[in-house]
Amino acid sequence: MMYIKRVVRLVFVFLVVTFFTFWLLDQGKSDLLAAKAGLNATPENVAQIKTELGLDGSFVSRYLEWLGNALTFDFGDSIVTNGFSSWELIRESLPKTLELMVLAEIIAITIAVPLAIASARRPGSWIDKWSSSGAFGLLALPSFVLGIYLSFVFGVKLGWFPTIVDDLPGLNDDPFDNLRQMLLPSVTLGLNLVAVYLRLLRSDLIETLQEDYVMLAQARGLSERRIMWRHVLRPSSLNFTTAVGLNVAGLVGGAFIVEVLFGINGMGRLVIQRVVLQDFEVVAAVVALLTVAYVTLNFLVDILYSILDPRIRHGAR
Amino acid sequence: MIHRRSRRVAAVLISGALVAAACGGDDGDEPEAESTPTEVEAEPEATDADEPATSDEPETGGDDPPPSTAAPLEDADQITSEGEGSDDASLEPVPGGEITWGLTNDGTGFDTTGAVAPGSIRIISALNDSLAGLDIEGNWVPNLAQSIEPNDDYTVWTITTRPGVVFHDGEPVDGPAVAANLNAFKASPTAGFSFAPVTSITAVDDSTVEIVMSSPWAQFPQSLVSQAGWMVSPSTIGTNDTFIGTGPFMLESWTPGDGARIVKNPNYWRADEGLPYLDAVNFKFLPDQTVRRQAFDAGDLQGYLSPGDEDIVDFLEDDDVDVWIGTAGANEYLWLLNTTAPPFDDIRVRRAMAHAIDKQFIIDNFRSGLTTPANGPWNPSSKFYSENDYPQFDPAAAQALVDEYEAEVGPIEFELSIEPNPSVIEVAEVMMSFLADVGIEGSLKEIGQGQSAITALQDDYQAFSWFQFGAPDPDREYTFFHSSGGLLNWSNLVSADIDAGFDKGRVNVDEDIRREGYAQVLKALGDEVPMLWVDHLNGVEAVVTIPELHGIGVSLTLPDGSPALAMTDGAFFAWTGAWIEQ
Repeated sequence: MMYIKRVVRLVFVFLVVTFFTFWLLDQGKSDLLAAKAGLNATPENVAQIKTELGLDGSFVSRYLEWLGNALTFDFGDSIVTNGFSSWELIRESLPKTLELMVLAEIIAITIAVPLAIASARRPGSWIDKWSSSGAFGLLALPSFVLGIYLSFVFGVKLGWFPTIVDDLPGLNDDPFDNLRQMLLPSVTLGLNLVAVYLRLLRSDLIETLQEDYVMLAQARGLSERRIMWRHVLRPSSLNFTTAVGLNVAGLVGGAFIVEVLFGINGMGRLVIQRVVLQDFEVVAAVVALLTVAYVTLNFLVDILYSILDPRIRHGAR
Repeated sequence: MIHRRSRRVAAVLISGALVAAACGGDDGDEPEAESTPTEVEAEPEATDADEPATSDEPETGGDDPPPSTAAPLEDADQITSEGEGSDDASLEPVPGGEITWGLTNDGTGFDTTGAVAPGSIRIISALNDSLAGLDIEGNWVPNLAQSIEPNDDYTVWTITTRPGVVFHDGEPVDGPAVAANLNAFKASPTAGFSFAPVTSITAVDDSTVEIVMSSPWAQFPQSLVSQAGWMVSPSTIGTNDTFIGTGPFMLESWTPGDGARIVKNPNYWRADEGLPYLDAVNFKFLPDQTVRRQAFDAGDLQGYLSPGDEDIVDFLEDDDVDVWIGTAGANEYLWLLNTTAPPFDDIRVRRAMAHAIDKQFIIDNFRSGLTTPANGPWNPSSKFYSENDYPQFDPAAAQALVDEYEAEVGPIEFELSIEPNPSVIEVAEVMMSFLADVGIEGSLKEIGQGQSAITALQDDYQAFSWFQFGAPDPDREYTFFHSSGGLLNWSNLVSADIDAGFDKGRVNVDEDIRREGYAQVLKALGDEVPMLWVDHLNGVEAVVTIPELHGIGVSLTLPDGSPALAMTDGAFFAWTGAWIEQ
């Protein structure tokens, strides 16, 4: 029942967001029609093209039609890049951004979790101080500055990695070349997340370590490692999990800068580019997909909560 | 006054700081030194109000023909000269290899009957050969066509196709194919304006096309040098997602927003000359200047267009980089003024604006001194260039005109339409600060990228930040100034002198008579000021390459054996002859 209510709420959010997106799209329709009609367009031409594009009828009926088509990934054709559908443009960009996000999260989690545990075990120790300072340093460093410096050092000066992602092979086709090209952008994006994850997890771990059941486990002689990994980490991960869930969708926006810096034809760059080009059909499609991704991820995070801490599930009953 | 000048200084300092930050720690060179406070603050005072600086004037001005090649230049002093010539001639071209080339603009497709975006044109330049080409003096000559012949009064032109030439899909480039392409161009709602005098295009037989005009058009083949002369396989006319042309390379893939890959055309009609040399070119769209520079420095790009003025200065001092400056056809930067709408329907306001703006300040501080002041649509290196009386920087004269207008009509306010390009907006804001100094208040109105042409054609503007013109032959600018140009007569000015001058240039073949006609046009443009000219961009529309890449910007021979004009329009360089050391 709890899940059904949440699904209903998510559908509502999706409808509200897509409705307003479609409304914004509609505001730009006169320009789009003019572009389609050409430079000598008469009112008759415009009316004809309006019919051809299925733009007749009420706003609500057109929205419902668009929504129905969107369910089959038919988001209409790009106005600027004739000959391509919105979905074709997205399909080209989506895998690169997904890979970038996953790699960035892996890098961030791989660095943040061990550092948070080490810091929480010995608060105030040298590793705690250094990791906190380093994390704040990374947090203060904008990704465009970090990206330029990483690219300059490891691309231009050392020549270890390419400075641009070009003709990216699939992970299955050539994993080595794929990862070689994606490493610098993923590190750029991932390092910014380390600070947030590290600080959240560290403080929750310290709090959990002060719980009675942890002291009991220590009194029973369980090893520190076992206590930390088996009994402390999971209940301390709620805020951390929330942050990871929120960041996955938020990374699309953050990915824009990294995608520009490394020449990646990803979703972030696509959406900004299409906003500038006033290619609203594509923008509406991207917003709809991001909304679905965002609400779905948050739904999954909610489910994960109850797995991480059964009290949440029981409390809901 | 002080406040406005401070704004200009601040703009220059911020610009310099951003560039310095972007290039920080790069290689120890200091291009940002151009923007030191001392130099910047001294500059406005040092600029002569009535005399544009002449030290940077091209050596090839006046009646001299443009040079035959765009050459790699050794230092900034040679930027507008012919250069030293290329070392390519001493090297034997080697076939094979592929390169990655940085694109500044993304392509929006390959529909040759529509408005083709600059990013697309860059790629098309390697996929296509035009019916006509340009020799080193900018005169048209048959290229893909075997011959282009007029009748006695230039009202009928006959194009004969070259035997044996095929499109990338194997279809013949014959009379019906050429006629189909030209008819589609003529019918285009966006491009067809320039074919206004054409009344019919007919394939007479398999190898001949007859074009009939409503009035004499002696320079008609000039229009076949560019878009109208691009031939695509008839089944793909009007198709946007592919380009099946006749050029040295074939389109293998195109990903909007990312780039394109082109591969050698084994059936190229000049294959018996060993052309083209390269196996493939990867075009990579990189909108950010710092990223292009970094990728080039890392060896991930072998060349790119439009490095930006600061980088050009930097590269010119670097022996490991070749810089190719276009010697013909570069754009002008200007503002269109809508002469049918207030306040620019009053010539006093237009002239006041021209007097108010210090072009040399912009050139010195935003172009690193690489460009030259403009007084019209043609570069001083054009054989059709002449001086005119375009108002020079004179704030006192501007103020007097403004005072006179304001006493009669009221305050002068206007909106400048502009695409969202930060570096262009920066220059526009500085120009506005000059105008504000004399009491003309402007504001910016950003429009969507790629919407300029449509917005201008709908006359939905007062002033418009604009890049255009500079074609090697002025006849190609006819529609944009002539009263018969309709919507394409950008500033809507109707001038008997301009019409008569352009008609004289169009109808006659005698160069002296044509020159007279275009001098008449330039004089009228200087007097009427329908456009606010800033600078000729041939100094900054440049290409940089690694030294191992040869043949870019070098004149290739035309089919008749004569050398072609290199780097025309700032985009068309000789991909056919490009080769890389293995």
